[in-house]
Amino acid sequence: MKPLFTIKAGGPTSWAVRVVCAAALVYVLLWIPTSGSNSLIDTATTALTLMGAALSLNLLLGFTGQISLGHSAFFGIGAYTTAVCVTRWGWSPLKTLPIAFAVAFVVGALVSLPALRIKGVYLALVTLTLGVVFPQFIKWPKIEWLTGGSRGLTDTGFKFDKNNRTFELFGWNPWGNLRGENVKPFYFWIAVVIVLIIYLICRGLVKSRVGRSLVAIRDNSTAAAVMGVNLALTKGLVFGLSAAMCALPGSLTAMKGTVTPDTALLTVIGSITFLIVMVVGGAGTLWGPIIGAIVYQFITEKTGDWVEPDKIPSLLRPFFSWSKTPPAAGIFGLSLVVLMFVAPLGLAGFWKQVVGRVVAVVPKPAGSTTLEPTAPSDGIPTWQPEEPLAEQ
Amino acid sequence: MTSQTTLLNTRFLTAGYGPVTVLHGIDIEVNEGEIVVVLGANGAGKTTLMRAISGTIPRTGNIEFEGRSIKKDSTDAIVRAGIVQVPQGRGTFPELSVADNLLAGAYVRRDGAKAVADDIAKWYSVFPRLQERSTQRAGSLSGGEQQMLAIARALMSRPKLLLCDEPSMGLAPLITRELFNVIGQLNKEEGLSVLLVEQNANLAMHIASRVYLLETGVIVASGSAAELSADDSIRKAYLGF
Repeated sequence: MKPLFTIKAGGPTSWAVRVVCAAALVYVLLWIPTSGSNSLIDTATTALTLMGAALSLNLLLGFTGQISLGHSAFFGIGAYTTAVCVTRWGWSPLKTLPIAFAVAFVVGALVSLPALRIKGVYLALVTLTLGVVFPQFIKWPKIEWLTGGSRGLTDTGFKFDKNNRTFELFGWNPWGNLRGENVKPFYFWIAVVIVLIIYLICRGLVKSRVGRSLVAIRDNSTAAAVMGVNLALTKGLVFGLSAAMCALPGSLTAMKGTVTPDTALLTVIGSITFLIVMVVGGAGTLWGPIIGAIVYQFITEKTGDWVEPDKIPSLLRPFFSWSKTPPAAGIFGLSLVVLMFVAPLGLAGFWKQVVGRVVAVVPKPAGSTTLEPTAPSDGIPTWQPEEPLAEQ
Repeated sequence: MTSQTTLLNTRFLTAGYGPVTVLHGIDIEVNEGEIVVVLGANGAGKTTLMRAISGTIPRTGNIEFEGRSIKKDSTDAIVRAGIVQVPQGRGTFPELSVADNLLAGAYVRRDGAKAVADDIAKWYSVFPRLQERSTQRAGSLSGGEQQMLAIARALMSRPKLLLCDEPSMGLAPLITRELFNVIGQLNKEEGLSVLLVEQNANLAMHIASRVYLLETGVIVASGSAAELSADDSIRKAYLGF
């Protein structure tokens, strides 16, 4: 089927579309904290937290092809770094973000050492161990003085005070404040900034020479090596960076006030959640984890009270009334199976397919110079194989 | 041989996989501007030889490139020194576009986007098919096109020595012939040195400056293409006539 419209990449139409999308995004981002209910702001903040973690996992798994089931541990390292810095040394929570980033980077790079030699299932197992061990390690009696053991740490966030500054613009205050009465928008904006940082890092990497080398490692690591990509160094740095970025949303959870080692996202459940969010959204695409996190959080909220039969929409009641727990996980498991058939590249890939039916984007010619068909100048004969081109 | 400068030189090169030794002391030489063909049957150790030279498997013995030992160098250092391998079975990056594959080939270059873009334009003019398909996924190309892409990608790093691992594998005879013609022309026009391992003796012999015969990890004969095809037993075993 022929698309209805064609747009030139980089042309005025494509810029107009970009500007409209950006404006819509900014509008939504301002609408949620100013006009949304408190529970909506909470939901959005959680979705952003998942987004950050799934984006960082995506850089490692989606683009570089190195699986990790230990990202909950890096998430937890972020949370505990912030918690310890705040409770022990009275740091301002925001100042702990770079520390969390650095600590997770070092741990991630160390974990990557075995990852240089193993792949696939074996790498999954090694990293799974990390995810399983982390909560146990936090509960270890010998470091309980630091981590608070299984009770966790409290007062790990901001100090609320009636006299704290607010940042009103002529009485308009979308940012919230730290006076203890309007703090949810404040967390929301921290989450937005964290996701933005992670997204920009990923985007910058993926669209560069380094990004090509990452996909090259994923697609064919031997060929990447003989193109001059230093496999060990690149994998190690990506592992470290992915871990470091994953620590940032972890750090945010600690800023909300309490951290315990049994928080779902800090256990292996967290790793699986990040993985599902990433795969449902679209592995190896920049927007996949973003879409995935929104959809995941939306479904989780919607089905949260489906334990009582009368809360389930009547059409769906026969399918879910037997469940004693919220059926979100089951729904995701099923949709994952369906997605693998319908859209192997996740929701982001599916969206591209659908849009591609309506709008065709003509890409810019590759390379930076214009590539008019050049005459063979160097005396080298041109080569056109007579082979019929069956594959398209 | 006249007084050509030696580009690559291996002395008692031994390599294998774990407990299995595949290459039992290989001595080969590639001079500047030569196409050297290593012929061997399945399991002779052709691919292992390529891997040992490009450093993707552990090896012992000595390898000298431009008079410097690269025995202890890592794969990426060897690429930067100027040896680039076209892996067997093409080994393009299927999810990257044709243009991005070429850019990936220029990974080790530090001379700026302009020079790289010029090179892309140059190889597009040699392989116009690649230009037509520049924005397509490499995985959607036909076998012949992928082999072109793999060679163009390797050339993007401006190698001094190109290693070709069975370029004819899985290609129709006509395509193979064209491919060898292009390699021969690149050698003549650009002075590109090539080390090529092949089973397809007939075609490879045509463009070869010198030929080595590899049998179960040992070089059993060497000489010019004419010398080797004059030898009856060799002709029977490898050329089939």
